[in-house]
Amino acid sequence: MLNKLALSGIKHRMRDYTVLFSGLMIASAIFYMFLSLALNKTFLKSNSPAAATAFIFGFGIVLLAIITIVYINYANTFLLSMRQKEYGMFMMLGAKSSKISRMIFVETFTIGAISTIIGALLGIIATKYVSQWMITALDMHVTHFSSFYLPALVWTFIFFIVIFVFSAIRNSISLRRTKILTLLHKDSQPSKIKRNGAVKAVQAVLGIIFLVIGYFCMWYIGKNAAFIFLGVPIALVTIVIGTYFTINSAITAVISLLKRNTKYSQKGLNNFTLSQLSFRIGDYTKILSMVSIMFALALGAITVGLGFQKQISAVVNGQNYYDVAVHNADTAQKNRINHLSGDDQSNYSYKIDDNKKIIYYRASELKKQPFHYEAFNMKSMISTTKKSTNIADPDVSYSMLQNMMPKYRMSQIKMVNDADYNNIPGKSNTLTLVKTSSFKNNLSKIRTISKEEAKRYPELKNAGGDKYSAYIMINGFFSGLEFMGFFLGIAFLAMLASCLMFKILSGANGDVKRYNMLYKIGTRQRVLRSTINKEIAVLFAVPAGLGVIHVLLGLQMFKGILFQPYTHIEVPFGIFIVLYLCYYLLTRYLYKKIVLK
Amino acid sequence: MQKIVEVKNVEKIYGKVGEKQFKALSDVNFEVQPGEFVGIMGASGSGKTTLLNILSTLDTPTSGSVQIAGQDITKLNTNEMADFRANKIGFIFQDFNLLENLTAYENIALPLALQNVSPKKIKPAVTAITEKLGLTEILNHYPTELSGGQKQRVAAARALVHEPSIVFGDEPTGALDSKSARALMDTMTKINREDNVSILLVTHDPFSASYCDRILFIRDGEIGQELKKEESSRGEFYQEILDSLGTFVE
Ligand SMILES: Nc1ncnc2c1ncn2[C@@H]1O[C@H](COP(=O)(O)OP(=O)(O)O)[C@@H](O)[C@H]1O
Ligand SMILES: [Mg+2]
Repeated sequence: MLNKLALSGIKHRMRDYTVLFSGLMIASAIFYMFLSLALNKTFLKSNSPAAATAFIFGFGIVLLAIITIVYINYANTFLLSMRQKEYGMFMMLGAKSSKISRMIFVETFTIGAISTIIGALLGIIATKYVSQWMITALDMHVTHFSSFYLPALVWTFIFFIVIFVFSAIRNSISLRRTKILTLLHKDSQPSKIKRNGAVKAVQAVLGIIFLVIGYFCMWYIGKNAAFIFLGVPIALVTIVIGTYFTINSAITAVISLLKRNTKYSQKGLNNFTLSQLSFRIGDYTKILSMVSIMFALALGAITVGLGFQKQISAVVNGQNYYDVAVHNADTAQKNRINHLSGDDQSNYSYKIDDNKKIIYYRASELKKQPFHYEAFNMKSMISTTKKSTNIADPDVSYSMLQNMMPKYRMSQIKMVNDADYNNIPGKSNTLTLVKTSSFKNNLSKIRTISKEEAKRYPELKNAGGDKYSAYIMINGFFSGLEFMGFFLGIAFLAMLASCLMFKILSGANGDVKRYNMLYKIGTRQRVLRSTINKEIAVLFAVPAGLGVIHVLLGLQMFKGILFQPYTHIEVPFGIFIVLYLCYYLLTRYLYKKIVLK
Repeated sequence: MQKIVEVKNVEKIYGKVGEKQFKALSDVNFEVQPGEFVGIMGASGSGKTTLLNILSTLDTPTSGSVQIAGQDITKLNTNEMADFRANKIGFIFQDFNLLENLTAYENIALPLALQNVSPKKIKPAVTAITEKLGLTEILNHYPTELSGGQKQRVAAARALVHEPSIVFGDEPTGALDSKSARALMDTMTKINREDNVSILLVTHDPFSASYCDRILFIRDGEIGQELKKEESSRGEFYQEILDSLGTFVE
């Protein structure tokens, strides 16, 4: 009989349960996706240049596990918030508490098991498509990656089953311990506002001090890479504490200031919104701090990941000034070259003395078309384009020889006048060097030219030297890092935004009465809706704002490794904000569905 | 003189056509004059809340018309209904319906803020009503820190602060002990007498009803007899109510 009642309770709350189920499914899907990367040793080895990757991923697993636990904890609270009243009612009607706690145990566990299984399957599918999308969108080279990876699946199941067993036990215990009356009136018991200004003031000051220490550490890491092993842990701890204190104190301070400003607070529902927020912030400090840290880590991962993408062009362009090098171009190659956009080409004649290993160039041609090359400064890690008419200069000749056939790359270069050149025995060759308006935009044409060239001169295969082969090598090298950064970032974002969503939604049931009352005393629906939008917007914006600041300052750490870490930062930020915004819209939609009629 | 409330041939049927239907009100007719204190009495399930919801635009009648302060409220759209509730009506509910995250003062000020009354005018209005209801001491308390009687007086202040045309109460004493109930009804009577506020009270409690000038009895969705206090004392009227309940219910 009770089981039947409980089931019918679920039917009545189908919408809420759908939210719960989809949230949990997303969690296990993301967890699987992440594990399929992180546990795949062959993938990691073949795609990452650095030994640090295994460490980064280990760290990632731990963080993701922590968020997942927190997340399920919130989802679980959401479940309890829905069921408490009903179970309280059953108990009041005489149901034994042991029976009730068994029921909630079964319910929690069943929900967990079903959503884990479906979620993992979704994870396999999502992994396939997401990775495909990322690989094509970013022209990445990723090997040994498969969307179905059994160890990942097994560990996902184990992890989730363990968590759900714990949640189920916790639910049943907490239900057994709470008094029936508390269960019945759960919604109408507000948490008390604590009005201790002195403590808050101290927290505000401490919060800012901690943040400054953390930011300073990150900045110092960028200056002095050796500090990383001490700096990262210090920064992590101080920023976490600083964020917590700042949110706890500063935001409350802002709210009470706004409340005191009667011109603002006594207008429409402003006062109500502020009160809702100040009640919430107390209750939300922990999750908001966590979200802002996670937000920073996730956004940081994507930004750095994409930073490597930018690195690709910078490094590739530093390898060779010219995009294309063709020897003795035939009509077909000439044709292809002419189709490159904005081509700036130079043609140099050369003769080879095989015995003395000397290559002769016409000085007159170099006068007319100075040779460009990239000079790399080891100190600043920046290469600058220079030009020269004297390629015999040892600083310059290295760059010129790179464009020659592999077997002549150790030769000596001599510049001679036209008369002498004509007197040198042997066949005269031409080297055509082309600089296009953009290597990236001409990539596919350049690829064809490079492939054709390798067909005409088989010794060029795998010889490197030209820009295209440099690109292939470097792209492969950085893609792995980029892929991981991206994946890590998106997985974290999805998790943390869902955490926030559930935390907010689990408060929704308690808000039904409040909004209903406001409706009754004559608040227009539009006003109610905009109040909800405002409230949820603040809850989403606070951690995002802090998170963005963390990232902007955290990028200082990468100044030594990444070339200009701040350029094109709008791309990862944009991707991130759009995804986060989607979560905000989804949350406020679901919230309104629960709260408004 | 214009009537405050005029209900004509109101009928309310729950349930859609073709489904199981239930007639909660049938052919209800009555009026409330300005400054009157009217009670509607009936057993549980007789249709009191349904009637009050219709009068307060929270629900619409299946047929019939309702005029309040000269306005036909059945013809309003949802926004107009909301504005109507905000401007013309005060509510007192059985379960107080205060917002626990606002102080007593903020709760009382809410209807004025909703109407975008300027903050300068809000304070004197709230002060005036709270002095009258003896709430000055507890203005900075949150509802959880108040007793049931205090909460209901805060709710009454909130219902009165914007000087509505009429105050509706749905069993306002239902959750109160007898002493608090008496205090609340005394206050309501005082407000009714001194400020000429019209009040329509729904209750199944004869004691609360005895404070009214006139009582309408409702049974199975129909208004039956009417009882007027006239010159009798509250004690006598209470006895009369009990007597007619006896005849009415049988
Ligand atoms: N939304 C509804 N749908 C169907 N029937 C309803 C609804 N609301 C009330 N009723 C029925 O209408 C009758 C009158 O209810 P109500 O006005 O709440 O009575 P009272 O307030 O006098 O106790 C009851 O029989 C109740 O079951
Ligand atoms: Mg009722």
